[in-house]
Amino acid sequence: MSLRQRLVPYWLLGPGLLWLIVFFVVPMYFMGELALRSGTLTTGYTFSWEWANFPDSLSGHTEQIVRSLFYAGTATLLALLIGYPLAYAIAFRAGRYRNLLLFAVIAPFFTTYLIRTIAWKTILSDDSPVVGVLQTLALVPQDGRVLATSGAVIAGLTYNFLPFMILPLYANLERLDLRLVEAAKDLYSSSRAAFVKVTLPLTMPGIVAGVLLTFIPALGDYVNAQLLGGTQQSMVGNVIQSLYLTQRDYPEAAALSFLMMALILIVVMAYIRFAGTGAFMGDAEDEKA
Amino acid sequence: MRSRKSTMGRVSDAMRHKGALALAIGVLAAALGLAACGDDTVGGGGGGEVSTAEAGNVKGKLTISNWPGYIDPGKEGTVKEFEKDTGVSVDYIEDVNDNDGFFGKLQPQLEQGESGGRSIFVVTDWMAKQMYDLGYLQEINHDDLPTAFANLLPSLESPAFDPERKFSLPWQSGMGGIWVDTAKAPGIKSVNDLFDPKYKGKVTMLSELRETVPLVMLAEGIDPVEATNEDWLNAIDRIKSASESGQIRRFTGNDYTEDLTSGNIVAAIGWSGDASLVENDDAEWRMPAEGCSLWSDNMVIPVGAPNTAAALGWMDYVYEPEVAVDITEYVEYISPVEGVKELLEGRGSELAESQLTFPTEEFTADCTDQDSPPELEPVNEAWQEVITG
Amino acid sequence: MRVLARAWAWLKRNALLIYAGLAVAYMLIPIVVIAVFSFGATPKGKLTFGLNDGFTTEYWTSAFALPELNEALMTSIRLAAFSTVIATAIGTAMAIALVRHTFHGRRVANLLIVIPMATPEVVIGASLLSMFIYYSFALGFTTLLIAHVMFSISFVVVVVRSRLIGFDRNLEEAAADLGASPLTTFRTVTLPLLAPGIVAAALLAFALSIDDFVISNFNSGTTVTFPLYVYGVSLRGIPVQVNALATMLFVVAATAAALVLWQQRRAERMAAVRPEREPDMGTPLPGTAAAQ
Repeated sequence: MSLRQRLVPYWLLGPGLLWLIVFFVVPMYFMGELALRSGTLTTGYTFSWEWANFPDSLSGHTEQIVRSLFYAGTATLLALLIGYPLAYAIAFRAGRYRNLLLFAVIAPFFTTYLIRTIAWKTILSDDSPVVGVLQTLALVPQDGRVLATSGAVIAGLTYNFLPFMILPLYANLERLDLRLVEAAKDLYSSSRAAFVKVTLPLTMPGIVAGVLLTFIPALGDYVNAQLLGGTQQSMVGNVIQSLYLTQRDYPEAAALSFLMMALILIVVMAYIRFAGTGAFMGDAEDEKA
Repeated sequence: MRSRKSTMGRVSDAMRHKGALALAIGVLAAALGLAACGDDTVGGGGGGEVSTAEAGNVKGKLTISNWPGYIDPGKEGTVKEFEKDTGVSVDYIEDVNDNDGFFGKLQPQLEQGESGGRSIFVVTDWMAKQMYDLGYLQEINHDDLPTAFANLLPSLESPAFDPERKFSLPWQSGMGGIWVDTAKAPGIKSVNDLFDPKYKGKVTMLSELRETVPLVMLAEGIDPVEATNEDWLNAIDRIKSASESGQIRRFTGNDYTEDLTSGNIVAAIGWSGDASLVENDDAEWRMPAEGCSLWSDNMVIPVGAPNTAAALGWMDYVYEPEVAVDITEYVEYISPVEGVKELLEGRGSELAESQLTFPTEEFTADCTDQDSPPELEPVNEAWQEVITG
Repeated sequence: MRVLARAWAWLKRNALLIYAGLAVAYMLIPIVVIAVFSFGATPKGKLTFGLNDGFTTEYWTSAFALPELNEALMTSIRLAAFSTVIATAIGTAMAIALVRHTFHGRRVANLLIVIPMATPEVVIGASLLSMFIYYSFALGFTTLLIAHVMFSISFVVVVVRSRLIGFDRNLEEAAADLGASPLTTFRTVTLPLLAPGIVAAALLAFALSIDDFVISNFNSGTTVTFPLYVYGVSLRGIPVQVNALATMLFVVAATAAALVLWQQRRAERMAAVRPEREPDMGTPLPGTAAAQ
């Protein structure tokens, strides 16, 4: 290969990598740097190796952190339970309607995040017929409500992040070679055993990718908690937003964000170490780096 | 799922690892290099001289940032009238939804001495003071605003936050009190009633520190203007328990009006002029038994404002009674301009008789001006904890 | 009895599809609600089935009556358009490099692409803000564009890459055999066949940009995008025109997607396919314009 030819991939990758480094990696550094400052808006933020910001931000907000983990975890689980069969159906049973269904999955994006969530807020308001039905079905206590509860926030998170679960699942399922399942059945396996022993393990990379792409963003969300929650439903995202935009305590906000980022990096690196970076992109075997 | 690697594979792995390491080091070096160019201290307010807004010929373009619903936007509205009378083309933006939010958005630019193209902001008393203290505002010369200072209500001439009216001019005033759904909770007459377990989960309070806590302090018999930091913190504690027990459903901004409309709540701490936003015939604003909070939203001119001449022209214009009366008719808040009440009476408008738009001295006898706590930081921190759950 | 048994059997066979239908209906519920609201003179915030207060099209005819709303919408569309073009170009190039070439640092590149997708928007938005604050860089359209391109690149790469992997190289070899230069092959064979994947990626990038709220909230300065406008007015009562415009946006997107799909089906019927698999050109990851 000539030198020019060997350089081609670098030219192709260059702009993108540069953009990502300058506008994703470097800001992380700045966030870390900001986290080590101290001060207020009036006095200015001076760089003072204020390592205390890190443990302080954690200890001050453990409740929200734990709550976020719980909400995001539950929402992810629900999304998996709802999304897997749907992805399966689209991959194998949809036939001509496959593209239509896939479009339906990302269609909500076009109405903007806020409007969707506000629509849910209206649907679930105290006097709405929907809540009335839920009360009749005794899913909600008679004088209870749906909004301003943890349930509402989890429901909102599940709904809004469902596409992020479905799409990786679908991509992975779509590659599944059904002949393997048939083979299992030929060997006298029941449908259920075939699913558990063949399909599930083979689609595990997709499941993990979906879980990661859902859990982590949900962890940092604040819109659902703000619109659908009450005073006791704030998540880490709400805290960070409040610190940055309302209180303007940039150092603490940065410290908290940085810690979140560190947590995520650890989880993602662990997964990649285990399954290779290619697995994250939805394929089972290619690209083991 | 791990593939077995040949020796060659492992070598190239090692090479790739090294490549990754080199890249990481390179990035870090670059970042440190970039950082070296930066300042040691970032932020802290613009130091230096405060400038006075320059007057001059009223022409050109004018950009104003105001709260939503504070002016008649239509073809017959004040903005259009102003444009016709002066030839100035006005870009009227309703993007002040929240004092802190607005401040947060503009702060980086104000820090640099720029106003993002705006010539006038309208913010509440204490925010105006905060901006001024940070050097983000220009001063106004009373000689440039003859109509305004001739017609300004005496009661607003010398407020605590800007005794000489050096940097602010009221736009509209209002009262903070209780909105009540009279069909569902007719008995609510005081802020203390909001803590009644009867109404658990059906009550909201404003997320603004200076709106909610003074009202609660009043309900406990404390005068907010004289309150100590402890008083503030105690009141905050009381609110905190109510929030944790589920008594208070949410801390809201303007969106309490939605909850009232959709029947999610029976009472809320809210503002006197929001009648047009509450589409619930049973809901009405009530003066709390122990008194309300009084506030004004003020026009201020930021640093770096383009066309301050037109800004001053606008400020003077809206103080002409004929103009001010149109604004009040639409907005239904308290006008700072003298003579508006008489004009409204002449028009036969109900508003002239309403205590909400023209409160008598008696009506607001117990009301308190909004003020900040003696030591802002600890109180603010405590409050933020309550708000973010 | 037989009827019941057959009905039951039918149910069991199609259970998955029925479930899929229900799930999709669930996903579309808010859209329907929004559309319904755009026709109603229902008081804001009250959900009343049956538009008893009056069915009106006034909000549709006056859909563009609010200048601020229009400006916000235009800003969002402009932002999404620019961001999509840039991100798709950059992302496609990266995908090609990843699939077709060998080079050092593949692992790092993969990592760099994948991590932004999994990062919460709060963290991305806040960190960008930190950097902009540090350099006292004015927030506005430019900073928004930078942010939007950044988070879109990863998704574009994943989609296009997926498409490339399932690509039949025999066609390119055939072109080369017939004397075409690499560039010509790329232009006349690769690119057209890659097109559906690129279009799918662009569609996704566009959707992500229009939809973005959190990152924009941190980095917009005083520029108002559509979601930011909605956030502002949501505190005061959303004008019904917003619902009309949101529905309009959705319908336009649906139509565009439908056209793309139809066009693509026609194109694929005329193109060659991989012999050993069913007519299937490989499917992009969030494949809206996926093959049959």
